[in-house]
Amino acid sequence: MSNNDSLSNEKKLDRRDFFRKTAALSATALAGTSIFADDDAIMKTPEWATKWGDPVTTNLYGVPSAYEHNVIRRSTELLSSGNFRASIAVTPIHESKGIITPNGLFFSRSHGGTAHINPEEYRLMIHGLVEKPIVLTLAQLKRYPSVTRTHFIECPANGGQEWRATQFNSVQFAKGFMASAEWTGVYVKTILEDLGIKPEAQWMLAEGGDSSKMGRTVPMDKVLDDAMIVWGQNGEALRPEQGYPVRLLLPGWEGNLCVKWLRRLEFASEPWYCKEETSKYTALKASGKAIQHFYANEVNSTVVSPSPEIPWTDLPDGAVVEIEGLAWSGMGTITGVDFSLDGGRTYVQAELKGLVLPKSWTRWSYMHTYKKGDKLLLTSRAMDDAGYIQPTIDEETSVMGVESVYHRNAVETWEVTENGEVNHVQIRS
Amino acid sequence: MFKLDRKLILSASVFTAAALFVAGCAGFSNSNTTHAQPSIDGGVYYPVVNGKTGPYLVDRVAMPMKINNGRIPTENELKAWDTDVMADGTGLPEGHGNASDGSEIYDAKCGSCHGDFGAGGAGYPSLAKGNAYSMMDTLKSQRSVDGADGPNRVFGVYWPQASTLWWYIKDAMPHQATGTLTEDEVYALTAYILKLNEIKIDGVLVDDEYELDREKFLKIVMPNRDGFEPNIAGPKSLPGVRAYYAKAENFGGKKVKPSERCMKDCQKPTVKNIYVTNGGIKDFVPPMATAKDLPKVESKEFNVAKAYEENCAACHANKSMGAPAIGDKKAWAAVNKKGMPAVYKNGMDGINGMPAKGGSNLSEAEFKLVVDYIVGLSK
Repeated sequence: MSNNDSLSNEKKLDRRDFFRKTAALSATALAGTSIFADDDAIMKTPEWATKWGDPVTTNLYGVPSAYEHNVIRRSTELLSSGNFRASIAVTPIHESKGIITPNGLFFSRSHGGTAHINPEEYRLMIHGLVEKPIVLTLAQLKRYPSVTRTHFIECPANGGQEWRATQFNSVQFAKGFMASAEWTGVYVKTILEDLGIKPEAQWMLAEGGDSSKMGRTVPMDKVLDDAMIVWGQNGEALRPEQGYPVRLLLPGWEGNLCVKWLRRLEFASEPWYCKEETSKYTALKASGKAIQHFYANEVNSTVVSPSPEIPWTDLPDGAVVEIEGLAWSGMGTITGVDFSLDGGRTYVQAELKGLVLPKSWTRWSYMHTYKKGDKLLLTSRAMDDAGYIQPTIDEETSVMGVESVYHRNAVETWEVTENGEVNHVQIRS
Repeated sequence: MFKLDRKLILSASVFTAAALFVAGCAGFSNSNTTHAQPSIDGGVYYPVVNGKTGPYLVDRVAMPMKINNGRIPTENELKAWDTDVMADGTGLPEGHGNASDGSEIYDAKCGSCHGDFGAGGAGYPSLAKGNAYSMMDTLKSQRSVDGADGPNRVFGVYWPQASTLWWYIKDAMPHQATGTLTEDEVYALTAYILKLNEIKIDGVLVDDEYELDREKFLKIVMPNRDGFEPNIAGPKSLPGVRAYYAKAENFGGKKVKPSERCMKDCQKPTVKNIYVTNGGIKDFVPPMATAKDLPKVESKEFNVAKAYEENCAACHANKSMGAPAIGDKKAWAAVNKKGMPAVYKNGMDGINGMPAKGGSNLSEAEFKLVVDYIVGLSK
C-alpha cells in the first residue's frame, strides 16, 4: 500500500471495501496515469543499496542511526550550578515512542555530577532499627529474587518553571523532566524479611554514595509496599546517569527520592531532615506554609505530538492526523484522558493505547482532520483510579500560589497557529 | 545516625496501629485480602490479591524466603558511613568554631561559588539575605504581579532545622571536594552562616566571637521550624501524614467522580491565553534541533575557546565570582607577576576557590593552552 493519504480519509474500511479500493488504486498505477513526478528516492540507486554495509562486528554495543543525532537530552544554563554538575538534562519527549524511554535518553539529574562506581567496590549497608544490620556486595544483592516493573520517574520540578507564566516554548523542556523504563531489582521488603524490622521503625534514610551524598527520608508505608532497590533498566544494567550500579525506586514518587548510587539505608523512629527535603523539594503554598515530604507526582498529561519542536507546518489541508500524548500518575493507574481543541472549554474523551499500568506512562491519542488555517488550542486532562483529575491552572494556583516550584500538574495547552506552528500557552484568569 | 528512643520502646503499644498497617502492606501472608486502603501519599494501594499486585504477578514461592545474604558491618564501617546528623543532635560530634574563623574558611573555600557574604553567585544558592527573623513575612510573598518580590528561602529564613546545615556542609561541601572539612571547620562555617542570617541562640546574637559548640548548636531554634506541613516529627507522625494526603485540598489536588467531571462550558469567559514572552528561555545546551540528517563532523583539533567556555567561563567571565576576570588587565598583571610557571602550576593544582584544572578533564597540555588563551586576552 502506498497511497495512505487517500485511504486514511476513510475512517472505517471493512475488508471488502479495502480490497476493492486497493485494486482500483493498483489499476490506476498500472495504467500509468499517475499525476506525480518520479521520486529520486526510488529512481536513483543510493549507495547503501549496492555497497557492502558494516560487518556485524561493528558497534558491538549498538548506537542509534547517525541520522538521529538530534534526538538527545538537553540542558539549560538556567537550571545549572557547578558547570552542569548540579543540574538536569531533560528527555526529548517530542520524539518519545510508546511508554519506554531508551536508556540513553532517560532524563539525568544529579546534585554533584554523574558518579562512576566500580561495581566490584560497590557496597550497600542496611542498619539502624533492624534486628540484623548487613553489608551486601552487588553480587549478593542480585541474589535476591528479582522483580521487574514498568514505572516513570519524574522530577517534581517538571513544569515547575511555569507557575507564573509559560517560559519554555518546547515540550522537551516544559514536560521532559521525566522518563519511563522497565526496572529490575528487589523489593526492599524482601530484604527486610531477612533482617527483621523493629516495630519502632517509622522512617528509612536512603543515602547515595556520590559526592553530594544525596539523601531522603522515606516512610515505612512505602518501604513495605512497592519500594525497590533496582540494578536493571530496560534489560540492561542501570546507566551511570541513573545511579549505576544501584538506585532506589519508589514507584510514582518524586525522582529525587529514588536515590541514585545508593549506598546506605538506615531505619529510625524519627525522620531525618536532609537538605533535599527541607531547603529543596518542599512546596511553599500561598499561605506561607510549605508542604514537606510531598511524595507522589500527581495525575498529569500533555500532548507530545504535535509540539513546538515538530509542528504541523508541513501538514496538508484535510490530512487525518493523530494527536498523541502521554498521561501519568504517581498515585495510581490512568483511567481516562479528556481532550480539548478549544483550550479546555469543551472536552471529549481521548483513546488510551497500549499497556495501561499503575504509576506508568500511558499513551493516549485523538484522531483529527486538519483544516489548514484553523487555530486550535490543544489541551489534555487525565484522571486516575485514585479519583484525581488534573486541575485547571486557576484551581491549582488558588491553593498553591505561584511560588511552590514543585508538583505542578494543572492542564497544559498547546496552541496551533494558522500556519501550523505550535506554541506553549497557558489559559488562566 | 542510629537513633533509638528509649521512651518509644517502653511505649511500644503506641505503635500497634502503625505496625499493623505496615504488616498489612507487606502482603506476603495475606494474599487474599481485598481491602482497598489508600496509600500514605493519597494514592491507590495495590494489595497482593490472588498472587497479583495490580497487573504484576508475584512469585509467591520466592518472596517470603529467607535468603541470609551479606554480613554484619563492623563498628568501624558503621562509623565511616553513618555520618548523618539528626534534628535532636544524634550523630552531631563534639567540636567548636566561631564566625570569625568561619569567615576565613568561607572566603578560601566557599565564596567563589556562594559569593561574598553568602550573597550567592551565578546559579549557586544564596546563604543569607540579612536578618532572617525580619524576613519571615516574605514567605507569604507571591510574584503574581510583575515586579513583586518573591519569598526568601535562604537558610535562616526557610530551613526548619540547623542540623541539616551542619550535616550537609560536612558531607557534601565544598561542592567540588566534598568531605574535606574538619569538624571544627564545619562548626566555624556554621557559626559564620548563622551570623550572616543574624540568628540568635538562646537569646544571644551570633557575632564574630560567638564560639559555637555542640551544646550551643542543640539550642538553635530555626525561625521557620513550624513552617512545614504535614508534621513528620514524633511517634504519631505517620498517621498524621496519611491523614494529610487523604485530603486533596491540602496539596492542590482535585478529586471528582468521573461521571461528574466537566465536559462543556468548563471555563470562565474571562480566561486569557498567556504566551511565552520574548521567545522564553532558549539557551538550550545543545540548541534545539529536529532535523534527521548527518551530524556535522566536529574538528578533532583542540578548540581552546570552547574549552574556556565549558570549563572556566562560569567563574572567570566576570568579577562577580571573585576570580580574576578575563580581559581584566590589572587583575591579570598581578597574577602574571608570579611568572607563568607559577600561574600554570596554581591552575593545575587549584588555588583559593578554584579546583584543580578548574574542575575540567583537560590534559595538562590542553589546560596550559587555555591558560595562555585567558592570559592573552587579558593583556
